[in-house]
Amino acid sequence: MAPKFILIALFVCATGFAQNKEILYDFYEIPQSLMVNPGVKTSQKWHVGIPVLSGLSVQGATSGVTVNDLFANDGVDFTTKVQERLLSVMTNKDDFSTTSQIEAFTVGFRGKNRPDDYYSFGMYGEMDIISYLPKDLATLAFEGNGGANLGRSFDLGDLVLRGEMVNVLHFGINRKVDQSLTIGGRAKIYSSIFQFQSINNSGSFVTREGQDNVYESSINADMQLQTAGVKGFYDIIEEDTGTTKKDVKSLFTKRVLLGGNLGFGIDFGFSYNLNPQTTITGSVLDLGFISNSKDVWNYTFAGSTTTDGISVVLPEDIDDVDNDLWQELIDEIDAALPHGENQSGYISWRPVKVYGSVRYDFGQGGNGSIFDNCGCAVNGGGGISSTSDYYRNSVGGQLFMIKRPRGVQAALTGFYQRRFGKVLSLKGTYTVDKYTFTNIGLGANFQMGPVNFYVLADNLLSYSNIADSHYASLQFGFNIISWNGN
Amino acid sequence: MKKLLYCVLCITGLLFCSISCMEEQDFDQIDDLNITPTLASGIFYLESDEQTINSAGALGSFYFQEVTFKAFNEQYVAERLIEGTITYEMENTTSKTLRIIVEFLNEGGGVLDVERFDIEANSPSVVERSVFYGVGGKNIDILSNTSSLRVTADNLGDGSSVSSDGDPKVIFRSGAEFLFQLK
Repeated sequence: MAPKFILIALFVCATGFAQNKEILYDFYEIPQSLMVNPGVKTSQKWHVGIPVLSGLSVQGATSGVTVNDLFANDGVDFTTKVQERLLSVMTNKDDFSTTSQIEAFTVGFRGKNRPDDYYSFGMYGEMDIISYLPKDLATLAFEGNGGANLGRSFDLGDLVLRGEMVNVLHFGINRKVDQSLTIGGRAKIYSSIFQFQSINNSGSFVTREGQDNVYESSINADMQLQTAGVKGFYDIIEEDTGTTKKDVKSLFTKRVLLGGNLGFGIDFGFSYNLNPQTTITGSVLDLGFISNSKDVWNYTFAGSTTTDGISVVLPEDIDDVDNDLWQELIDEIDAALPHGENQSGYISWRPVKVYGSVRYDFGQGGNGSIFDNCGCAVNGGGGISSTSDYYRNSVGGQLFMIKRPRGVQAALTGFYQRRFGKVLSLKGTYTVDKYTFTNIGLGANFQMGPVNFYVLADNLLSYSNIADSHYASLQFGFNIISWNGN
Repeated sequence: MKKLLYCVLCITGLLFCSISCMEEQDFDQIDDLNITPTLASGIFYLESDEQTINSAGALGSFYFQEVTFKAFNEQYVAERLIEGTITYEMENTTSKTLRIIVEFLNEGGGVLDVERFDIEANSPSVVERSVFYGVGGKNIDILSNTSSLRVTADNLGDGSSVSSDGDPKVIFRSGAEFLFQLK
């Protein structure tokens, strides 16, 4: 039951949560847009996120098979579905991944002496796991090395996975340089709860007609699974002393509060008005690393050998009367392929993300710029800033890229944003990426006095059958925002 | 605070549940997953030159050995073995007829099965024999109970003649291909 549950849970949870927050990006009415571009235009005097409720996001996608493809009650044999819809169709570049984020608290305020500067700080937790389909290994398990697979070289490098849970403390500065340019940066301290990765594996396994015997099998492997922070939790659960829950909670709290492996990273970004109605933006996020030196436990498997079974050649072996040739063969293979454990520390890099966008504002709304209440004289003044005018509509395009273990993943988004007074702003997006070509998203930002609520959801078309979705995401949160007079 | 959190989560959850649908899913199907790979491996290789055979004399054994062989009788393997084929290949470029006998022995040394191969003299082409284990063939239990092989190689000819072949020898190869119930 347990393995079955774990398998299903992994599959359902890991159906490809990507990290793209294309609806939130440049949705500057929402304070959390600072987290995806520290250089976004800011209008408020200060904001406070309601603790734990200011930013919750979960995202999911798979570039290959969906839950529905495998688990639909369609009468098709499950093994056939796995072979035809997963193994035959997906490649080793297809992934299952998950990202979730929860903001513990966030605070932002404008500098008294430097009203052009907007400072923000806070803390959030993030979990990010990605596993590529180890196609060759899965095929080896399903079909074996015999039959039609004789002579086929199975790539051991297909095993690529990476995951971590991290708590992030951050502090950022957003500065309006002039009427056209706003820049921003954010420093982050990462407090790792756990991390694991197996990303630089290589090697192959092949069975072919032998030069001597009927078959010979060759393997060369250089594989490693690095873990940090995992064994501590594993040991507590394994010991099962009766205080397991308390011990796990205690260790978790310690790791959250800088008691585990630490790292450092930065974000930076900008917004630049090409003309009063056209704005370009860009940002780089999580340019950082974690130094894993505590609770490290690595597993290695490396070496190479070829075997064709028990071999006796006369007259050379005529005096070898040992009848334990089988065990000797096993020992030889073991010796040639040492598998071990070590506690060597390692550096894990954060998944770097890059955003870029171009936005065109139109449909002048006349009275009531959303920045009129700012009072900070930052984004409410004249000049050529597009913020000096209140445009009801915006259209544009966004590019998102993220560094993944198998290379850069990109997503292209087109969007339309419509503002209804100060109370409501809607943003619709269409995104193309490796997961889906039919991702239509919708975001809504409500401003009721000082209370701000936003909800952003992706891939709405898939809601007709969510189990058949290649991608799903949901973000929402509450903030208290103050402009002048609030 | 917790109540507020649960409220928000519930409201948001309900909102999305109300607009989303999901076709009926049956996660119990995973119990029906059937993984049966075909595994291939070399088993035993014996090679001998003619001089060694001659040394054993006429009608003598030039090789006799019992070797442990637990590839199939490890519990995990034995329980999952479905069917398979052992392929034997022989080449004999020596000047005498040879006989190779492979006996499958259980833990107590009892003989479970015997394969006997008589190889004609001067037969450079590969002679192949396949033995199927499973339904319609030999009993698969022979393999799952085998813990050692006794290999005997006998010279059925004289002990002095020498083949005109440049490098006269006998080669005996064996390999297995088996269907295995992994899940």
